[in-house]
Amino acid sequence: MDKLMETTLSILAGSKITLEIFAATLAMSLPLGLLAALARLSKIGVISRLTELYIWIMRGSPLMLQLLFVYFALPLVGIKFDPLPSALLAFTLNYAAYFAEIFRAGIQSIERGQYEAAKTLGMTYIQTMRRIILPQMIHRVLPPVSNETINLVKDTSLIYILAMNDLLRVARTIVQRDFDMTAFFIAGVFYLAMTAVLTWMFKKLEAHYGKYDF
Amino acid sequence: MENTISNGELMLEVKNIHKKFADADVLHGISFTVRRGEVLVIIGPSGSGKSTMLRCLNRLEEIDKGSVQVRGEYLAKEVDGSTVYAEGDELRHILGSMGMVFQQFNLFPHMTVLENLLEAPMQVKKMKREEILPVAEELLRKVGLYDKKDSYPARLSGGQQQRVAIARALAMNPAIMLFDEPTSALDPELTGEVLKTMRELAAEHMTMVVVTHEMAFAREVANRVIFMADGNIVEQGTPEELFGAPKEERTKAFLNNML
Ligand SMILES: Nc1ncnc2c1ncn2[C@@H]1O[C@H](COP(=O)(O)OP(=O)(O)OP(=O)(O)O)[C@@H](O)[C@H]1O
Ligand SMILES: [Mg+2]
Repeated sequence: MDKLMETTLSILAGSKITLEIFAATLAMSLPLGLLAALARLSKIGVISRLTELYIWIMRGSPLMLQLLFVYFALPLVGIKFDPLPSALLAFTLNYAAYFAEIFRAGIQSIERGQYEAAKTLGMTYIQTMRRIILPQMIHRVLPPVSNETINLVKDTSLIYILAMNDLLRVARTIVQRDFDMTAFFIAGVFYLAMTAVLTWMFKKLEAHYGKYDF
Repeated sequence: MENTISNGELMLEVKNIHKKFADADVLHGISFTVRRGEVLVIIGPSGSGKSTMLRCLNRLEEIDKGSVQVRGEYLAKEVDGSTVYAEGDELRHILGSMGMVFQQFNLFPHMTVLENLLEAPMQVKKMKREEILPVAEELLRKVGLYDKKDSYPARLSGGQQQRVAIARALAMNPAIMLFDEPTSALDPELTGEVLKTMRELAAEHMTMVVVTHEMAFAREVANRVIFMADGNIVEQGTPEELFGAPKEERTKAFLNNML
């Protein structure tokens, strides 16, 4: 029993870094993704195409490779980060690209009539985006954003490659040390608990935004 | 009435406007004027360019040639063969003098009826909520929807939504109202309430340009009717002239079809 407690506490300690990466990535990649979506939709060709290139690179190559690149390849050109900032940089750039595509599709799904109504009422581009388009867009993109967010919880396990002691790496260390699979089960329960909380939160958000049902 | 209009202020002066889309030449030199308090109704077959013409008046579409003057100010004019639009404050001022009502209502679905009315006055005119609130509530009473002020648009019938859309445009206190087939998306039994609101607006001498297929409304409310076909004005006149004694064959054929 003591053994089980000790394993759980170790894994709990490991989940701290998992949650840190998760929360920080989300906090940075959502706004960055929105900016990238707007840049992608920009009428200025260069901006739109550069953003498209960025999104393609991020979505078209493995996150694992991006992690390795930031941590091992950037130092070769004199840019060196510790493991945590490296992980945050790679995760944020990667997830922002996915969010950008979700937001772009969401913005494009808003009827042209909404822009036209706002325009004939004299609203500027920024007012139209902030007051009319984005609030409706958020409602529509909640399900795919929810998916990506849950993916992010699981993707955090990739940071083991940078020798960071996250939830899964702690569990694996214990399993390899004790030849006992319990730690994996506990790790699984931890992941499921996190995704359950997220699922519940997104349900609440959807209900909140669904109050004017359209 | 006729006389006060024919001497009234020129609200709109459209000269020889042309509009091309990539694959279509839509307007071939449209000219007309609208005076204060006048209700101009535009009729014509589908695809004749009525919506495009209306949308050129408030720059939802940009003209390729010609000029548009709103209350003496140029929205667009020709300078050395190219079209130049007003800019900055002048542009905002010109566009701000026109309100528009769309076929599809285009209410903001994430805002209540009242919020739909308050939005532009507060955001664009920077009015305080307590300044615009009584105006908005009065407008909702006028269109008979005060009791729906806290509902979301999705909960309203099409006719109610369109009346809110009219009130929303009026909340910006425009001098000219543009209507693009305001009743075409409605079930027949709901067109009446919207037309009633528009009739009341006309009775208050609002200057209106209305694209519609409602011939009875045109006959009754219009001061002048324009019949468009293939991007041209084929004929225009008073409702009596146009409906009673159309001169052009195209007009006659169109009117026969509508009856
Ligand atoms: N954005 C656009 N791009 C290309 N062609 C367009 C565009 N908008 C309108 N058109 C074309 O211009 C022509 C006139 O269209 P418009 O909508 O002005 O006609 P309308 O008289 O309003 O017809 P309806 O009674 O069906 O509303 C049509 O042939 C239409 O296909
Ligand atoms: Mg039309």
